[in-house]
Amino acid sequence: MTAAATRGSTLRAVGVITGWGDGLAALPAEAARAAGDRSTIAIDRPALPGPRFRRATRECLLGVAAVQAMLEAAGLAREDIAGPDTALVYVTAAAYGASNRAFIEAAAGGSALHFPYTAPSAVPAEVTIEFGLTGAYVIFVGGATTTLEALAHAAGLLERGECARALVLAVETFRECEDLHARARWLLERPLVESAACALLTPGDGALTLARATGRADLSAAARRRAGETLACEPLIALALGLESGDDRLGVTGRWRDRQLSANWTRS
Amino acid sequence: MTVRGRARGADPVAILAAGAVTPIGTDLDTFWSALVEGRDGISAIERFRVDDLRVGCGGEIKRVPAIDGGGRIDCRASQLLLAAADDLRRRGRIDAEPARLAVVVGTALGGVEELERALDKDGRPRRAGAALYDSPGRALARRLGARGPLLTVSTACASGATALGVGADLLRADRADLVVAGGFDILCRFVMRGFDALRSLTRERVRPFDRRRSGLLLGESAALVLMAREADARGPRLGRLLGHASTSDGAHIAAPHPEGRGLLTAVRGALAQAAIDPADVDLVSAHGTATPLNDRIETAVLKAALGARAGAVPVNSIKAGLGHTMGAAATLEAIMCLLASRDGLVPPTLGFEEPDPECDLDYVPLRPRAMRPRVSLSTSLGFGGCNAALVLDGGPA
Repeated sequence: MTAAATRGSTLRAVGVITGWGDGLAALPAEAARAAGDRSTIAIDRPALPGPRFRRATRECLLGVAAVQAMLEAAGLAREDIAGPDTALVYVTAAAYGASNRAFIEAAAGGSALHFPYTAPSAVPAEVTIEFGLTGAYVIFVGGATTTLEALAHAAGLLERGECARALVLAVETFRECEDLHARARWLLERPLVESAACALLTPGDGALTLARATGRADLSAAARRRAGETLACEPLIALALGLESGDDRLGVTGRWRDRQLSANWTRS
Repeated sequence: MTVRGRARGADPVAILAAGAVTPIGTDLDTFWSALVEGRDGISAIERFRVDDLRVGCGGEIKRVPAIDGGGRIDCRASQLLLAAADDLRRRGRIDAEPARLAVVVGTALGGVEELERALDKDGRPRRAGAALYDSPGRALARRLGARGPLLTVSTACASGATALGVGADLLRADRADLVVAGGFDILCRFVMRGFDALRSLTRERVRPFDRRRSGLLLGESAALVLMAREADARGPRLGRLLGHASTSDGAHIAAPHPEGRGLLTAVRGALAQAAIDPADVDLVSAHGTATPLNDRIETAVLKAALGARAGAVPVNSIKAGLGHTMGAAATLEAIMCLLASRDGLVPPTLGFEEPDPECDLDYVPLRPRAMRPRVSLSTSLGFGGCNAALVLDGGPA
């Protein structure tokens, strides 16, 4: 945490993985139509090498895979983000559900191994271990509005010089708790699309401002239409669409339960 | 002693008031007097089944205060949080515009007990929503009429410190005029089973930093503080948050880094943000779980951070009498630091009797220490390599 204070931040890259496949190119034009009668579009357990991942949950591996996708999008190597100068801000609304349920329903045996993976902190923990991240670290629980707050928090860390780069990571999984999600239909639209996304913020002249919102920004509407319900990942997918389009101004919105926010980012 | 170098540090944030519901007192005053008296809040757990566990005791709140104005709340986590909010409201005026009032709460477990209930055959559909970890925080925001930023932090057992830091950041960024921040967690079968399986729970007394320490016991609590920008604060206050930092170990899913790498980075980051020299730290409120590993690592980190003066700085842990209250722990410990400054008394480390050669600092044994710390450092660790440090100023504004 030794970087010099800067005036602002820049969104440099976003890595995206969804139940539709890797990257934005895998997204259908209309998620609802592509889903047909499926209520959940799941992602298979990523096949990451190494014995350390044997016990890791699927959502942990998705977090690692999303950071790897971001590195590829940014043209960076792992070594470029390792160490105390990289902040990690993690967000999820529901990705702890699967491990919590498995622990509740498991027989007594084996739970000592599984219990640490029930914490929301398990996903970013595996990411920090895998990529050697030892800088600023915050974990938020919530949906799309929380991701916008996480982006603002990351931008604040950069502006105050508390990191040289910041990752905002979101992971959402649904498959293991499909029946519970079916009981909470007032909270979630369909199809539920499992996803993981990671944004890289670096120092720059960009300014991120949050405000209350009433409607849905074009990028967020596109993310919702093409990806489906991705909760905390939605703003990051929307930003990825914005980066791809080359817009200088990135405006996204987020909605979660009774809250709605907008984030506007002027790129340098 | 003067607080040096303020011009270099971040703007301090005033802590105007606090509220708490704990196993040793269900309001702030009772909590504080029990801490100073060394009251033991550990008892046999009665609210749920524990007969199949190795350890069946903890810091259970036997009777949660009724919520002001009545109304029945099913979710115990929300119940504790709202009771702490009622206590806070009796001690501080929460009078910001709704859109300028923020809520930031930390939790390790959220509403996980509601998930246990939702998975029952008879579980009501609403329980599925209540099981989300951010549901208790939303209940608190509704209760306070807060329409500003609403955040749930889950950096495991460091959550109560990270939440205060995030709250301070919101004020400094002018995202809110008042922030209600803190932490909560409840005792439930889920967490008792987990720690029981990990063999982290002791069958003996909790003894932080003692040679015979053999593990922790869990507890439940909710604790909240009311924060404002120092420049905007009017009237009495408990103290100030000068600096904070939350960092990752990047080392292990459950255990702390063997040399406390992340915790040391957090302590140095918080001191730097506060523009406080380590020589100016008067008191350390340690995480002090009484596990063999935690207390040894924490001692080593404090020696590295405070240097040659480490042995002269009182270090206490309040977990023996409360149990480890997880998401609430660090907020309670921050409040303890400020009340110690106010009253000139530092609560003792209950259970500490026999020194350990690897834990050789001044742990405030046996009885409260008559001293009035001005600058306190509070340290916290949690699963997932989470670390947090707060630097607090309990002196007059």
